[in-house]
Amino acid sequence: MIFGRPLRKAITGISFLLLLGSGALAAVDVPTAPWTIDGLVALLKEQREPSMRFEEATYSSLLTEPLKVRGLLRFTPPATMEKAITEPFRERYVIDGDRVLFESERKGIKRSISLEDYPALRSFVDAFRASFTGDAARLQKVYDVTLEGTRRQWTFLLRPREAGGQSMVDYILFTGSEGRVATIAIRLPDGDRSVMTVLRESTR
Amino acid sequence: MSRRFGVMGLWTLAMVCGLWLAATQVSVHSELADLLPEGTTATQRLLLTQVRTGVAGRLMLLAIEGGDPDDLAQASQEFGTRLRATGHFNIIGNGAQALSKQDQELLFRSRYLLSRQVTPEAFSVESLRQSLEQRLDDLRSPLASMIKETIPGDPTGAFLGILKDWAGQEGPAKHRGVWMSEDHTKALLVAETRATGFDADAQATIQQDIRKTFEALPGRSASLRVVMSGPGVFAVEIKQTIEAEIWWLSTAASTLVVLFLYASYRSVTLVLLSVIPLSTGIVAGVLAVNSWFGFIHGITLGFGITLLGIVDDYPIHLFSHLNVRGSAPAVIRAIWPTMRLGVLTTVIGFSSLLLSGFPALAQLGLFAVVGLVTAALVTRYVLSVCVPPAFIPRDVPQKIVPAVAQLTRAKWLVPGAVVLATFMLLWSDTPLWQTDLASLSPVSDARKRLDEQLRQDLGAPDVRDLLVIEGPTAEDVLQRGEAVISQLEQLRTGEMVAGYDLVSSYLPSRRSQQARQQVLPERSVLEHNLQTALSGLPFAPGLFTPFLDAIDAARTQPMIDRDTFKSTAVGMKLGSLLIEQQGQWSAVVPLRGVADRARLAEIVAGWHAPGVAYVDLKEESNLLMTAYRDRTLAIVAWGLLVIAVVLAVGLKSISVLRPVLLPMMSALVVVVALVNAAGESLSLFHVATFLLVIGLGLDYALFLNRPEGTGEERARTLYGLLVCSATTILVFGVLACSAIPVLHAIGLTAAIGSFCCLLFAGMMADEGAHAEA
Repeated sequence: MIFGRPLRKAITGISFLLLLGSGALAAVDVPTAPWTIDGLVALLKEQREPSMRFEEATYSSLLTEPLKVRGLLRFTPPATMEKAITEPFRERYVIDGDRVLFESERKGIKRSISLEDYPALRSFVDAFRASFTGDAARLQKVYDVTLEGTRRQWTFLLRPREAGGQSMVDYILFTGSEGRVATIAIRLPDGDRSVMTVLRESTR
Repeated sequence: MSRRFGVMGLWTLAMVCGLWLAATQVSVHSELADLLPEGTTATQRLLLTQVRTGVAGRLMLLAIEGGDPDDLAQASQEFGTRLRATGHFNIIGNGAQALSKQDQELLFRSRYLLSRQVTPEAFSVESLRQSLEQRLDDLRSPLASMIKETIPGDPTGAFLGILKDWAGQEGPAKHRGVWMSEDHTKALLVAETRATGFDADAQATIQQDIRKTFEALPGRSASLRVVMSGPGVFAVEIKQTIEAEIWWLSTAASTLVVLFLYASYRSVTLVLLSVIPLSTGIVAGVLAVNSWFGFIHGITLGFGITLLGIVDDYPIHLFSHLNVRGSAPAVIRAIWPTMRLGVLTTVIGFSSLLLSGFPALAQLGLFAVVGLVTAALVTRYVLSVCVPPAFIPRDVPQKIVPAVAQLTRAKWLVPGAVVLATFMLLWSDTPLWQTDLASLSPVSDARKRLDEQLRQDLGAPDVRDLLVIEGPTAEDVLQRGEAVISQLEQLRTGEMVAGYDLVSSYLPSRRSQQARQQVLPERSVLEHNLQTALSGLPFAPGLFTPFLDAIDAARTQPMIDRDTFKSTAVGMKLGSLLIEQQGQWSAVVPLRGVADRARLAEIVAGWHAPGVAYVDLKEESNLLMTAYRDRTLAIVAWGLLVIAVVLAVGLKSISVLRPVLLPMMSALVVVVALVNAAGESLSLFHVATFLLVIGLGLDYALFLNRPEGTGEERARTLYGLLVCSATTILVFGVLACSAIPVLHAIGLTAAIGSFCCLLFAGMMADEGAHAEA
């Protein structure tokens, strides 16, 4: 706690510098760089924001209309991810390495689970981590990756390579522009899917 | 001559028969449980059964170490799967899904009888609405795909609740789906063996298979190791220790005795001859114990070698009195009254062990009594005949007589020593009595530490704290269990205990099940409530038909009991938590991480719940041992009294009692002080050895005070006594080096005792008797 404030300041400062730097770099690179998976992943890493606001809609065969939630996504290198739902209820998943801390206000639950027990969550987390840490090799080891479109408007499709992953996830589809993600859609093998839209106005 | 060969022939025949019987009939056990008493109260019996066969005794703790967390996790996954396939285990827990598909289906079908959520309000519109909203949350969560399947049949989440109960309270930390120590250096597993923890042979096989399975893991990196702990592992170690110790102790002791006898008398014939009563005594002892108890324990057998130290006194007495004038039969006739009295008093001492009611001591007692009597009789009737007619052991140094006479001038040292010993005892920091039974366990400290560490990592019960719930029927016990669930939960949240395993948390009583069935609504009512609750919620129409069907079915479903889950992992667990013994039913509730035992005992007593009691297994077994110790102590005292009476009658004089009894009793006080000064507290086994010391002391004193004709005879007697006590001290000295605490206790006590007895008897010998002679 003693170091909380200066540390946070430092991190904000560094992020800011990084953002500036990457922006400048991107501006220089535009005309020459060929549009590849490696390029995209590198760009995603560079332009990664400390937190993103999102809105997510879940479509399920059990439901007549999609369910919506809003919240915040955070990524702290190297491996900590947080998905916090803020509306219509408060719930938090903090994924640190293999451990998932699950906190739900409404259900009064706070417990730690293992990612391995939830394979669906695992493949999703893998995709995220690899994308945002610029690890194209790892991404392509786990997923069949297809990149389409232009640097201004791209779609990035991930299909699990292994049967185990396929039984959990049909595909994960990112869309975006430059190093920024616009939507993340996850489709499950039974046809249920969720679509997460990253809200732009939240960038600070 | 012909008589001599006849006797030898008969003896040989008897020995061959005896050895044949011993080889074919005798079964040697090394499970410590076989030495534990039966217990006198129902609770004690239950506890001892628990120790022997209960689930806590069958828990095996395993850890894989020596790799990075990912390697460990992968090895644990594969290891767990392969161990499950060996068939040795009821349950293998490593954090991966504990319940099989079959178990889960059974639990799913029985969910409305098993679930604690089934209450009269559970199916009201409000409750249903709340449940449905929670299911919507579930669908929105990242975990949706895992539980989606159960929603149409179980919108109230009854099944998930049951699974949560079965998963237990928070387990150890996990990495890649398996349990890991907090620092991620060990992958942790818990196994419940089918064989009981004390079944050392079965446990040894299991542990071998575990090692083999581990060696054969595909893709296992060479640096990984597996470590094991738990009662079963201890049992195997104890068995191995006992077997190894018995072997080297007997070898060392017999070699030393043989060498010493040879050095003292320089005669191979004499050494060979002394083997005759010795071997006969041991064979007879083994056969007697085996036919009386049905088996002989390794420790009793180990004690057999201590007989070497006592029994060889008889042939030595015979040999030491042999001289040119008397033939062996004549000599034995002359010393027989003294020897007989010595044998008689020693037998009285040991037979009191038979009365102690403690199997370990009773075996020792029977072994010693039969061995001693046999050896004495063989010395009297066989050995004396077998001695070659012209056989005379070497001359003994005559100087020994004045030396002993000098010793008697130091008579005053004896009371001095007793006073000193008393003061030492009074001022000693070492507690006089050993009350912790665990200190008698031959398990090494390193192993105990490992066990403690693994238990802490795993949050496994430490085989110590139990709640016992008793009742005349299984139903009573289950109801009594249900009655204390909320109190137990309070203890857990109040951090009085870290966790508990109560059968009623898994299996409700019939009464509860019937109550649940009665609150299950009729289909029309439920359908109506559900429709109302659903209004405005985006669930697909008709989605919950499986739910309506399931409630319908549950209303007439047969009751669930232990048998419903027969031969499943769930059934095994129930069977170990709810047991029947002699028509009495008990639930055993292992408690984890008890914070304050005394306080807990008070709290549980304060519940005034019928049939429910908190038991500290360790305390209980210590109490049991203390009770047996006190009883043995009383027996020793009575034995002493009887011996005094027998002596008075045998010696036909009370005045002789003083030089015979006093040295021995003074020696006892000094022995206690010396053992205490060596940093040891007295246990049941030390007390039992007092009897041995008494026997030895009497023997020495009787011979020292025996009226003798000539100075040469006197010298022979004294030399014989020196040899006797030296062999005794040698044998028990070897025993005192044993790593088995029981044998160490016996050895130390007897070695010191033997020395003090001889010294004091020599100092207090009645000079007058010899002066007159």
